[in-house]
Amino acid sequence: MDPFSAEGELLNLHNAFHQGQYQIAVDFNTSSLSSSNTLPARVLKLRAQIALGHYEDVLADVQSESTPELAAVGALAELRAGNEASAVKTVDSLVDSEGENGTVQILGATVLQAVGRSEEALTLLGQHQGNLEAVALIVQIQLQQNRTDLAVKEVATARKWAQDSLLVNLAESWVGLRVGGEKYQQAFYVFEELAQAVSTSSSQSLVSQAVAEIHLGRLEEAEAALQQALTKDPENAEIIVNSIVLNVIAGKDASEYTRYVFHTDPKAATLGCVTLHGKINLLICNSSLSKIEPDHAFLTDLQEKSDMFDKAATKFSAKVAA
Amino acid sequence: MASTASPTMLTKFESKSSRAKGIAFHPKRPWILVALHSSTIQLWDYRMGTLIDRFEEHDGPVRGVDFHKTQPLFVSGGDDYKIKVWSYQTRRCLFTLNGHLDYVRTVFFHHELPWIISSSDDQTIRIWNWQNRSLICTMTGHNHYTMCAQFHPKDDLVVSASLDQSVRVWDISGLRKKHSAPTSMTFEDQMSRGNQNQADMFGNTDAVVKFVLEGHDRGVNWVAFHPTLPLIVSAGDDRLVKLWRMSETKAWEVDTCRGHFQNASGCLFHPHQDLILSVGEDKTVRVWDLNKRTSVQSFKRENDRFWVIAAHPEINLFAAGHDNGVMVFKLERERPASAFYQNSVFFINKDKHVRSYDFQKNQESPTLLTLKKLGSPWVPPRSLSYNPAERAILVTSSAEGGSYELINLPRDGAGSMDATATHRGLGDSAVFVARNRFAVFNSTAQQIDIKDLTNSTTKSIKPPTGTTDIYFGGTGNLLLITPTAVHLYDIQQKKSTAEVAVNGVKYVVWSNDGLYAALLSKHNVTIVTKTLEQVSTLHETIRIKSATWDDAGVLLYSTLNHIKYTLLNGDNGIVRTLDQTVYLVRVKARTVYCLDRSAKPKILNIDPTEYRFKLALVKRNYEEMLQIIKNSSLVGQSIISYLQKKGYPEIALQFVQDPQTRFELAIECGNLDVAVEMAKQLDRPKLWARLTTEALAHGNHQIVEMTYQKLRQFDKLSFLYLATGDEAKLARMGKIAEHRGDFTARFQNALYLGDIEDRITMFKEIDLYPLAYMTARSHGLEEECASILEATGLTEDQITLPTVGEPLTPPKPLVATFKANWPTKATSQSFFEKALLGQFEGLAIEEEPTAASNGLGFEVGEDEITKENGNLIDADDEEDAAGWDMGDVPIEEDGDFVEVENTDAGGSGISEADLWARNSPLAADHVAGGSFETAMQLLNRQIGAINFEPLKPRFLEIYQATKTYLPASSGLPPLVNYVRRTLDETSPRNVLPTIPRDIESLASIDLQKGYDLMRANKLEDGARVFKGILHALIVNAVSTVSEVEEAKKLITSAAEYSIAMSIELSRRSLSPENIKRSLELSAYFTIPKLEVAHRQLALISAMKLAFQKKNFSAALSFANRILANGVGPKNLENARKVKAQCERNPADAIEIEFDQFAEFDICSASHTPIYAGSAFEVCAFDGSKYQPKYKGAVCMVCEVCEIGKNGSGLKLVA
Repeated sequence: MDPFSAEGELLNLHNAFHQGQYQIAVDFNTSSLSSSNTLPARVLKLRAQIALGHYEDVLADVQSESTPELAAVGALAELRAGNEASAVKTVDSLVDSEGENGTVQILGATVLQAVGRSEEALTLLGQHQGNLEAVALIVQIQLQQNRTDLAVKEVATARKWAQDSLLVNLAESWVGLRVGGEKYQQAFYVFEELAQAVSTSSSQSLVSQAVAEIHLGRLEEAEAALQQALTKDPENAEIIVNSIVLNVIAGKDASEYTRYVFHTDPKAATLGCVTLHGKINLLICNSSLSKIEPDHAFLTDLQEKSDMFDKAATKFSAKVAA
Repeated sequence: MASTASPTMLTKFESKSSRAKGIAFHPKRPWILVALHSSTIQLWDYRMGTLIDRFEEHDGPVRGVDFHKTQPLFVSGGDDYKIKVWSYQTRRCLFTLNGHLDYVRTVFFHHELPWIISSSDDQTIRIWNWQNRSLICTMTGHNHYTMCAQFHPKDDLVVSASLDQSVRVWDISGLRKKHSAPTSMTFEDQMSRGNQNQADMFGNTDAVVKFVLEGHDRGVNWVAFHPTLPLIVSAGDDRLVKLWRMSETKAWEVDTCRGHFQNASGCLFHPHQDLILSVGEDKTVRVWDLNKRTSVQSFKRENDRFWVIAAHPEINLFAAGHDNGVMVFKLERERPASAFYQNSVFFINKDKHVRSYDFQKNQESPTLLTLKKLGSPWVPPRSLSYNPAERAILVTSSAEGGSYELINLPRDGAGSMDATATHRGLGDSAVFVARNRFAVFNSTAQQIDIKDLTNSTTKSIKPPTGTTDIYFGGTGNLLLITPTAVHLYDIQQKKSTAEVAVNGVKYVVWSNDGLYAALLSKHNVTIVTKTLEQVSTLHETIRIKSATWDDAGVLLYSTLNHIKYTLLNGDNGIVRTLDQTVYLVRVKARTVYCLDRSAKPKILNIDPTEYRFKLALVKRNYEEMLQIIKNSSLVGQSIISYLQKKGYPEIALQFVQDPQTRFELAIECGNLDVAVEMAKQLDRPKLWARLTTEALAHGNHQIVEMTYQKLRQFDKLSFLYLATGDEAKLARMGKIAEHRGDFTARFQNALYLGDIEDRITMFKEIDLYPLAYMTARSHGLEEECASILEATGLTEDQITLPTVGEPLTPPKPLVATFKANWPTKATSQSFFEKALLGQFEGLAIEEEPTAASNGLGFEVGEDEITKENGNLIDADDEEDAAGWDMGDVPIEEDGDFVEVENTDAGGSGISEADLWARNSPLAADHVAGGSFETAMQLLNRQIGAINFEPLKPRFLEIYQATKTYLPASSGLPPLVNYVRRTLDETSPRNVLPTIPRDIESLASIDLQKGYDLMRANKLEDGARVFKGILHALIVNAVSTVSEVEEAKKLITSAAEYSIAMSIELSRRSLSPENIKRSLELSAYFTIPKLEVAHRQLALISAMKLAFQKKNFSAALSFANRILANGVGPKNLENARKVKAQCERNPADAIEIEFDQFAEFDICSASHTPIYAGSAFEVCAFDGSKYQPKYKGAVCMVCEVCEIGKNGSGLKLVA
């Protein structure tokens, strides 16, 4: 029996992990699990630890292990720790020897995608045997490649055999946010459902809900959701980035924060986003973003665009000085 | 035919007593009279469930009882052959009607005449006049006991039932004629009556048998007329209920309702519906369809035979009497099934039509759907659950043992239609639990099925045993109701995650934010959090019907006759009374929306002040409290005692007028000032004493001093002075004591002061020479000693003195502590008082700027303004310099669009951002897509933009607004999504990005901000704001052509203001000697097209300057223009004065380049006039004009475009 199915004993752990409730996943009591589920449970818990940023602990934990699953976990931790090369090396050898292993597929593909080898990641994932996580990953990679059409098909296929699974719902919502129109609302319902129920709520689902609301043009609601997320997790880069985006869309004073986006002085970077009079304090947000995750796509992208602007602007100039 | 208890029978009240034989409902009040076999008549309030009264004068069983419709009377008849008429007000039997010769079975009042009809085992039916207490008619004919006789509700007819197996209809029109006003009784009338009606065997024509209905095979126990139709229903010992119809001339049996398996003892027509109700000794209440004569439902009691049934004349209530008492019940729920979502409520009305009601528009929709086919025609739907995502409803009905139906509402909601494409199934309750899931509960199987929208079961759950109902429990959760507890059940984990023990919960009402739920039982409201932690609970003696949450988190609930509120902390109170029962749906501000029992939306107005106030108090929202106190007449003993009880005496103080109470409150909250004030008013020693204690505790010795003075407690006062070191007053106290002749006090004061002489003098005065001598001696005052000795005629030798120690000298005060109070206890200034103070300060601050803005700074005097602005202008120069930093590189003209390149890897597609640039010719959309270079090229072509540096923040702003970051799979970067302004669009060819700061926000926010700055004379900031508007407009997108016009207007006005401000700013930066230029610029400042009020400012400034510098001609022209504009009375006054002065000598002292009569524009760079007809260059974007020599330079206004370059024009609409 699939241990992740509705009746399986790993369902809660599995869901907690994919709903972004990493701490719950880490704290999950696995002592009473049947022996066949011990390894998958351990893998999930280790992955949750990685997601929480404790990759050093994970590395130490799996160092002496030789099972392909744990080796794959090790590779992921390596990647997080910044040792891209060794992560890729481990993955490459694992793919050759244990390409059939579900965990190797997932974690291997994650590593490959992270280093930009998307096609290889897709090939590896293509071998999956009814693994929903693989489907979700495929969908995400396809979306990152802007192949919404393929992602739509992938989800529709998965929907047929895994009706109501959390991952299918999530993947469908990811796609929905690309497709737009009515799909925005549907994606919103999925995220809201997760975010507003006590048992499934996490900062990740709250951010997702807020994102859907931004796309729906419901800015006030989005802000409320982000505020809620901030109270849960004040140092989450995604919350901060989306808060910035939201505030820009809402037309709040731009001069205040563009100046501070590139502010790297750690003294200016106060920890966390502070809510000031109920509003997200942009200035602190931005500076804290540059501290929490200086390589965030938002910042690098913005820096790139700023440079691009300067370069492009030099092509024009006045003929006459006044 | 089902003989099991029908779930739809709703028992409202049950009494326990001996056998109930007669029942009567009070037509208005919630009362029921019960005639008992034990000779007692009980009067019950069936709503409160209390026995109001007992009437015990009959001897033996009482069988018949009836209320009078309007008078406070009732009638009873019993086995003592007596008919008694009672007043329930005086609780006495008024009189007894004697005449019957055997048991009296039934008694009824006539609906309008002062008559009573009675039937008796003596085989007669008698009609009595209760006003003159006489028997007026005896109707004979039945030849066995007459069991029942009733008046027709309208006509002059009587129907009777007898154990002789017949039902008789009697005509009593003769009786009416005889007993109405005798004048109308003509001979002809008598004649015709005599002919018409056959006299009975005694020649009596008052009441004659009209029809004899035979059909029952055994005795008939009960008979009743239909309230409107010519129908009769009877119940007999042959276990049948028979329906009869009659016309003018004949009557016949229509049909028989078979079902009772024992004697049928009572029957009646439903007052409003086509139903018959009957009861029998088979312990059942049965309901029959009047038209089909089929059983609709039946209700069985375990042990008690039923003897009688009665219907309430107005409302949907019935009562049945049985062996052990009486039960009051309803046939069906009157609560309309409803569900609310955001601003509308969906409900099912009595015709089984689904409708919605919009709270915002206060409008009821036409019928969305009819549910005629759902369930049994006699059973209204029980509940409604609404799914906004799918616009579907889930309706449950208790018919057929419980069923549900899932129906999609029509999208447009136009016209009534039958439900199509529905899914149905069996179940007791059904609720949506998620967007695409609903739960169905089956109580007999004790199972919950989670179903998807195609009605297929995805999951089955075994609920805790004894579950009776289910409710939505927050997303993914259910609330399971058992008789003693409520469980929060996680559907996914399939387990109960929380539990709260609450008995008999019937309804669950979630707060609007989903954080709290109110659990309604019959008499209790329990508020719990979404995790089922109990917050508060309250008990009501009257039934709780419904509840709804205020947006602020106050629960409003309705009982049968009140709307009440409760705060989360359990504080509750009455909001208003109700005339009729309603079901609350929503409350917004002062309006409560509800559904009444006929399922019509109603709007009730309430005064939320009280609970708002209490809520503000709980939340410590002092501002709102202040607001409420100021704006409403919230006074009264209850609120004061509430505040006091809750520990807010200082707030209560604000409400109280009565000095005594004010004093008490002031003491309680330590507000001494108020306490003193009140004490002065009241001036009672007791109060002063209390004030003293309180003031002492505060260390406020000044008040203590005053109170001691008031209380004339001199010694205490002295001691106080000693303690505070106030020697002057202490001395005065000594004087006072001397004056009063109180030597002890004087001595004490002298002691306190260390005044030895005074002490000695005093001792001498009261002839205590030994003491005087001792005092003098011990202080070494030898002369004094000698004089005392002399006075007493003694010598030193004659006195034996004890050894005296060191003389006592009281310490001298070092610090004048009496000058100020000693604050040992912080004077309690509550938050609230602070808020009060703060409010006043706030007001004061608010007033100042208004005064200043009236003055506009222009009147302050020129010097000050220049001084003020001197610094600012430096800053401005710097900024300008940055804007002017330009090279001479000619523009590259590459005519085509640059094809957007794909930077993504191999198999990937085109990102949406790239699509935007392809889909739109607007620069803004290219910027959003990150294609800055093409955007710049577009702008260059459209408006000749060449200097992009100032647009950088705008570019990045737009770019940042386009992407959101969605966290997806763990370990991978977030998914980037693209924010659109075309929300409904899904085709990649048509999608367009969101552009922040649209025309509307620019016009409503930024432009106003600019105006405000202009008015406040903050031109630096103003210029920046207007420049910001221009920059935001260069890169923007609008949706319609009319908005383009709006945008153009906005550009023009922002440009005009920019120019005007830059002129004035450059004037302020001039050196003071440059009077000529200053005059010119102040004149040019009046040229740009500003709003009239702002132009007026420019004109006044120009006029003043010109007048000062004796350019009277120019000043005159400005004055004339001010007067022509006619805005601002003060300005006009000034202008008139200046005009009068200037007209005497209209000449200019200083020649300036300003022709007041010529048409001209101002060059935005050099600030010189461009007269009509002379050559000039313009900026293609903002339309600012320049001298020809500036061609090719960057526009000074927008700082972006090249002057004199004609573009294709700015494109704002795709």
